Amino acid sequence: MSGSKVKQDMPPTGGYAPFDYKRNLPKRGLSGYSMFGIGIGVMLVGYWRMFNWNRERRRFEMEELETRIALMPLMQAELDRSTLRMLRENLEEEAILMKDVPDWKVGESVFHTDRWVTPLTEELFNLRPREELLHQKYGFAWYV
Amino acid sequence: MPAPEIPTLQELKVDEVSVSSAVLKAAAHHYGSQCDKPNKEFMLCRWEEKDPRKCLEEGRKVNECAVNFFRQIKGNCAEPFTEYWTCLDYSKLLELRHCRKQQHAFDNCVLDKLGWKRPDLGELSKVTKVSTSRAIPENPYHSRPRPEPNPVIEGKLEPAKHGSRHFFWNW
Amino acid sequence: MSHQILLYIINPLLMAVFVLLAVALLTLIERKVLGYMQLRKGPNIVGPYGLVQPIADGVKLFLKEPVWPSTSSPLLFLAMPTIALALALILWVPMPMPSPLANLNLGLLFILAFSSLAVYSILGSGWASNSKYALIGALRAVAQTISYEVSLGLILLNTILFTGGFTLQVFSTAQENTWLVFTMWPLATMWYVSTLAETNRAPFDLTEGESELVSGFNIEYSGGPFALFFLAEYANIILMNMLSAILFMSTNLLYNNLNNETMVIMIKTTLLSMVFLWVRTSYPRFRYDQLMHLVWKNILPITMAFLMWHQAILVSFAGLPPQI
Repeated sequence: MSGSKVKQDMPPTGGYAPFDYKRNLPKRGLSGYSMFGIGIGVMLVGYWRMFNWNRERRRFEMEELETRIALMPLMQAELDRSTLRMLRENLEEEAILMKDVPDWKVGESVFHTDRWVTPLTEELFNLRPREELLHQKYGFAWYV
Repeated sequence: MPAPEIPTLQELKVDEVSVSSAVLKAAAHHYGSQCDKPNKEFMLCRWEEKDPRKCLEEGRKVNECAVNFFRQIKGNCAEPFTEYWTCLDYSKLLELRHCRKQQHAFDNCVLDKLGWKRPDLGELSKVTKVSTSRAIPENPYHSRPRPEPNPVIEGKLEPAKHGSRHFFWNW
Repeated sequence: MSHQILLYIINPLLMAVFVLLAVALLTLIERKVLGYMQLRKGPNIVGPYGLVQPIADGVKLFLKEPVWPSTSSPLLFLAMPTIALALALILWVPMPMPSPLANLNLGLLFILAFSSLAVYSILGSGWASNSKYALIGALRAVAQTISYEVSLGLILLNTILFTGGFTLQVFSTAQENTWLVFTMWPLATMWYVSTLAETNRAPFDLTEGESELVSGFNIEYSGGPFALFFLAEYANIILMNMLSAILFMSTNLLYNNLNNETMVIMIKTTLLSMVFLWVRTSYPRFRYDQLMHLVWKNILPITMAFLMWHQAILVSFAGLPPQI
């Protein structure tokens, strides 16, 4: 064995130099803490701007509501008059329609009371074309 | 029941304000502050009487004031006003915030020519008192009179001898 | 009468046609993007840049003979793909682009409700196929979809707290100042992940897990019925991305600039859909237990915590939106 001429590949005396086999993740970009901080900061600024905008939107809403408050008496007066007008027209129509029926009291109230009862929309539009009733009920809805 | 009295068409005839919603909305704030008195009067009447037939006169005054108001705008500030409500009309949902520039021009014109100031935010929605000469209505709901209170029971009242009959665990 | 025909027939049909067209082009763009990310070309033979490829695919699919498994339940088997596509198209009704087909007051609830109904088409098709692969695939898909719907709903509640309404148009007024992605980016990322899972896309496409399930719930489908499922799936993808765009980065619906707004929202939708494809090329599939743990043990608790937190700060700092 000792006289063998074959030269075997062996490591150099003292072994190979240590080589870098460790996982090597270069540090790049921001640190985790600072990214976390930036994230929180973005959220806080977002909250702040969102809250300000929501307050502003509430002010807009107040303004819109005030237009309705201001216009309410005008609308109410007009609505009252148109209701009464339609009731009166219905009465006259009823008198013509029911003139052949004996013992028919024109415009007799169905309620056992003297107080004012706001008539139903259907009642007002009973003697009119159906389109008018539909228009009255659904004509100005802007969403379903 | 007797037929409810309904005023004739002649009594209901008023000069209606025939303008579109954009116009009404554009003028609403100024209208609210200018026609404050008849408006409040009408709403108070409507609230107290609970009956539209009794507030026709007040309603007529409301309309008269509104017609006057729009006539004044038309006479003095027709152009900026038209611009303002056209802008509103073309915006979605008639939102006031889309037309601040035109609103500013209109406000200035009204302030110069008529001396009307735009009410501040929240002024129109305040709770207000109204002084009126109209008598407060009696019994607006037409309620029946309250029944007489039960007569005071004479004689001695004692707890039942064997407790209540409604349940049995009252020993 | 004529305007009713226009309103109730022509308009929805036009909408459907364009949604389907968008779906066709999405399949093309998916193949192109996947191709370029893997350093190859993707379809480029049929038509210029392969633009006619999806049409050729569609024609081929519809010309193929659909196989009807002899032991299947014929009615359900036929009805389910139809329902899937119908639901996917109905979902587009309340989408503001910028004008919706029907201006629903509770548009978000409508969308939630109808996207939950889509589960039944998966379940029904898996069951009606009468094949264990299809059945197991359907069960997996349904479990995944309904789990992620919970987190979607809770994240929606968070956004609604900030905007103050279930109407989809409210989101555009609420975000005129700041996009909600900035205000709640953790929730926005969770939403995006949940939409990936809700539409059964990679990395959550376990329903299509090839090795164990062959193809998932639609294994017995071929030809036309399969094409319907395919269209429904891709229509849902575009819809979900559009919803994300509206919820978290909506723009001002300028009252005199509507055409511009349509372009902007479509560009956002397209970009978000491209990220879907990017994710598909980049990430490996989740394991099923990891997928379930992600939603029930991570996303859901965090969302609940955020819900309470947002309630608290909105009330205490007076930032509540107007209640219309």
